Amino acid sequence: MSFLTGPMHHHLDGHKDLTAHKEIVTLTNPDVVWIPLINGNAPCTPLVSVGDTVKVGTKIAERNDHFYLPVYSPVSGKVVAIEKRMATTLKNVDHIKIENDHQNTVDKPFGTLDYESASHEELLEFVKNAGMLGLGGAGFPTYAKFTNPENVDLFIINGVECEPYLTADYKNMMENLSLLKTGTLALLKLSKAKKGCVAVKEDKKDLIAELKKTFEGTNVEIRTVPDIYPAGWERTLVLLLTGKRYDRLPIEAGCILNNASTAIALADALVNGMPLREKYVTVSGDGVKEPHNVVVTIGTPAHDVVEACGGYAAEEVKLIAGGPMMGNSIPNDQFVIGAPVNGLTVLEYKPVKEVKCLRCGKCTETCPSGLEPVRINSAEKIKDIDTLVKLDVNACIECGMCSYICPSKIDVTEGVRRAKRYMALKK
Amino acid sequence: MKFIFKPAPHYRSPQSTSSIMRDLTLCLLAVSIFACVYYAMNYGTEVAMRVGIMLVASVVAALATEAIWFACTKQNVLEGITSSYGWVTAIILTLISSVNVSYYGLIICTVLAILFGKLVFGGFGQNIFNPAAFGAAVLMSTFAGSNVDVVSGATPTVAMNSFSWMTSAENVNAIMGNYGGVLNMFLGQYVSTMGSTCAVLLLLCMVFLIVRKDIDWQLPVFYIGGVFVLTLLIGLIKGAGFNYALFHVLAGGVLFGGVFMVTDPVTSPVTIPGKILFGLGAAVFTVIFRLRSNMPDGVLYSILIMNMLTPALDKIFDGNQIKNASSILKKVLIGSCCFLLVGMGVGAIAEVKEGSVPSASGSSVALDVDVDFGEPISLSKDLATYKAEAEEVSNDGTTAVYHVTARGFGLLDPDGIASHTGHEYSRNEADITVDVTTMTVKDIELTHFGDTEGIGDIATQEGVLNGHIGKSLDDSIDCVTTATYTSESVAAMVQAALNAAAGN
Repeated sequence: MSFLTGPMHHHLDGHKDLTAHKEIVTLTNPDVVWIPLINGNAPCTPLVSVGDTVKVGTKIAERNDHFYLPVYSPVSGKVVAIEKRMATTLKNVDHIKIENDHQNTVDKPFGTLDYESASHEELLEFVKNAGMLGLGGAGFPTYAKFTNPENVDLFIINGVECEPYLTADYKNMMENLSLLKTGTLALLKLSKAKKGCVAVKEDKKDLIAELKKTFEGTNVEIRTVPDIYPAGWERTLVLLLTGKRYDRLPIEAGCILNNASTAIALADALVNGMPLREKYVTVSGDGVKEPHNVVVTIGTPAHDVVEACGGYAAEEVKLIAGGPMMGNSIPNDQFVIGAPVNGLTVLEYKPVKEVKCLRCGKCTETCPSGLEPVRINSAEKIKDIDTLVKLDVNACIECGMCSYICPSKIDVTEGVRRAKRYMALKK
Repeated sequence: MKFIFKPAPHYRSPQSTSSIMRDLTLCLLAVSIFACVYYAMNYGTEVAMRVGIMLVASVVAALATEAIWFACTKQNVLEGITSSYGWVTAIILTLISSVNVSYYGLIICTVLAILFGKLVFGGFGQNIFNPAAFGAAVLMSTFAGSNVDVVSGATPTVAMNSFSWMTSAENVNAIMGNYGGVLNMFLGQYVSTMGSTCAVLLLLCMVFLIVRKDIDWQLPVFYIGGVFVLTLLIGLIKGAGFNYALFHVLAGGVLFGGVFMVTDPVTSPVTIPGKILFGLGAAVFTVIFRLRSNMPDGVLYSILIMNMLTPALDKIFDGNQIKNASSILKKVLIGSCCFLLVGMGVGAIAEVKEGSVPSASGSSVALDVDVDFGEPISLSKDLATYKAEAEEVSNDGTTAVYHVTARGFGLLDPDGIASHTGHEYSRNEADITVDVTTMTVKDIELTHFGDTEGIGDIATQEGVLNGHIGKSLDDSIDCVTTATYTSESVAAMVQAALNAAAGN
C-alpha cells in the first residue's frame, strides 16, 4: 500500500448474494455426532469412555498443553465409540461418536456471569472454562489473548468475512445483534482497551445500519473497510483501521481482535450458560443445488449439511471446508463440522490450464505479506535455501492471493507451501 | 459423486495470460491498421499492401519457426504455439521496422528473434532479451543494405541525429516544422518506423492496457516520463527549449517502446521498485545513445541493455517488501539519482551543433548517402567558369521553366585528372522551375548527370537538390565537401535560371 509495494490486496467477486438474503436452514438435533478431538494441530484428550451417558454441556474432552481448552458435548445421549475419521486438516484424528437421545437434557458446566460486575480475573476464568475459541477459522483459545492485556488502544470485532461465498458471520450478526453487543462489550472489558470497534465491509449497508443502532451509546464504533481481500486478515485489518503494521502479534500495534461469531458464542455462554453447540455454516458455490446458510450442530458430517441444501449439482466437485481462498478441498464428504468451520464451498470441478510464468509480478504486487511468490517458487525449484531465507518465506499466511491473481494459472501458493515445508525440514 | 482434491486456493482471477496477450494483440493491430491507412492515403495502396504483407510474412515466419521447433522437440505443436505468443513478437518487430525493409530481411530476422531471442532460452517466459528488440537490432545492423526505396524521406530521428540530437531551439522547431509541427507529430502524419508515429494512438493503447491491468503503469510512465524530464532539463541547460523534450518523446521509438517493449513482463523485473529503476535506466540509456552514439535512435539498445540488468534488479530487491521497505526506498533513490546524474552529465557535456536545417517542402526527403556540408556557395558568386546556359522552356508569367546546362568537374578538368580516367564526361543538365513573382527556385530536377558517379552524384541526390528550393540570388546553397565542383555546377545552373528569369 505504498508507492513501492503495489496494492497488497485485491477486490474479489464475492458471490455473496447466493446466500446472504436467503432463509436460514436449521439442521440441529442430528441422530449421531462425531466430535473431533483436535484444536488447531494439537490433540485433545477424551474425558469420557464408550458407554458413558452425556448431557448437553458435559465436558467430554480437553486440550491441556500450553493452552487449555475444554470441549463440551453439543447433544445429550450416549458415547458409542471413539474412532478415527478424516478431519478438515486432511489428517485422521480421533472423534467421539455420540448417539443423540433427543432428550436435550442440559448440564450447565460453568453457570452464567454478569460481565459488567465481574472482575477481569473472573471474566477471564469464565472465558477459559466456557471453552471459547476463535470461530473465524483458526480455533485459537480466546482467553489466551487476554491474559495480560496492556496498552491496548483498540479492541476489534472482526466481522469482515473477506472470503468469497461465505456469509455465515453476516447472517449470525444479523440474527443475534443483542448477543453480539453483549459479547463485544464483555470482550472489550476483558481487553482493557480504551475503545472498541466492529469492523465490517462497507458494502453491507443493512448490517452497518443495524449495528449502528445496536451499539448506540457504547464506546464501540462501527468501522467499515473496503471490499478487498484479505481485509479480514488481522494484519491487513489492523493496517486498514489504525495505519499500523506489527511484527508478530497485533498487541504490538495496540490491538486485540476477535471474530464476531466468537463474541456471539461468548454472550450465549454468559447469558444462557450454554457452551458452543451450533454453528452458522454457509453452504454455497456452483456445485450445490440450493446454496443456503445452515445452522448446524457441531459434529454433523458435511454430507448431511450438503444434502440439507439440495445435494450436489455436478458429478465432479471440489468440496471445500471454508471459503475457496484458504479452505482445504477434502476428498470425501464424511468429515464433520467442527467449531472453526464456517463454510462449505462446493465448486464444480473445472480444470484450469497452467501455462508458463510470464514474470508479470502480479503475485508480488498483491501479496499482503509483501513477499515475492514468483521468486520463492523459482528458488524452491532449485532448493536454494539461502535465497528462500532471504525471501522471508515463513511470513506467508497462505491466503491464496498469488494463485488467484496469477494469469498463468500456476499453483503459486502451493509452491510457497512446498518452500515452507522444505525450510521446516532443513531446520 | 467424485470429490477432486486440489491445493487451495480454489478461486482464480478471470484474467489470464491469454487475455493479456489478446489485449496486447488488439492494440498492436490498431497500430498496424493506422500504419496501413497512413501509407494508403499518402503513398498509395501499393505501399499499404506492402505494410500488410510485411505483417503477415513476419507472423507466418514466427509461427512456422515455433511449429518446427515444437515438432522437433516433440512437444504438442498447437498447444506450444498458442502458449508461446510468437505473433506478438512478429507484429512488434514489423512495427518497429521501416517500410523500406526488405521482405527477406524481415523474415530472417523474425526467425532469428523467435529462435535465438526466445526458444533457445527455454521458450516464453524464459528469454533474457525482448525478442522483438533482439530481432530489430539484427535487422538494423545486418540487413540495412537490403532495404528497398519504397518511401523516401528522412525520419525525424535521422534529421535530429545529423545534429547529434543537440541543437538550438530554433533548429528543433525547424525540424519539427518539417514534420508538420507538434500536432502533426502527435497525429503521426509523417514517415518513421511503421508503428511508432501516432502518439495519440500509442497513448490510448497505454491507457487501455493499464486500465485492463495488462501492463504495470510504472514501466511506461517512468520510461517515457524519464526521457521527457531528462531531456527537458538538458534542453533548459543547453537552451534547446521545451520542444526539444517533446521531440525526444514524439520522434523515434520512445512511445512505442514505452508501451509495447519496456512493458514486456518476461524481460522486466518482477518488483515495483525494480520496474521503476528499469524504466528510468532505459530512459537514461536512450538519451545517452541518442546524444553520444552514431545510431539515430537509442530505444532498442537501451531496452536490450536494461534486459541484461533485469536479473540484477530482481536480486537487489529480493526480500520482504514490507520489512525491508526502508532499504528498498534507499536503493531506489540511490539508483534513480545515479541514473539521472549520468544522464544529466552526458547531456551537460554534449556539444550544441549549429547549422541550418534543410527545409522541406511538403514531405521531407531522405539523403540516400550521408553528406558533410562545407562552406555554403553564394548564388551571387562568380561561377562563369561553369559556362551555364539557360534556355526558357515555358513562362506563364508566374512560373517559368528553364532547361539549363553547365560544365562539371570533368569538363573543367582542374588538375588534368579527368583526362586520365578514361571516363566520358559531359555537361550536367537540369530543368529548373522558377517562381517569377518571388524570384525563387520552385523545383529543380536533374535530367542528365555528366560528372563522376559515386562522387559528384552525392551532391545531386534529391535530398541535397531539394535544399535549393525557395532560394533566391541573395541566398547561399549547401556545398557538399567531397563534390565541390558538382555542387558549384548545380549552383551555376540555379544562378543561370534565376538570372534568365530576371531578364539579365
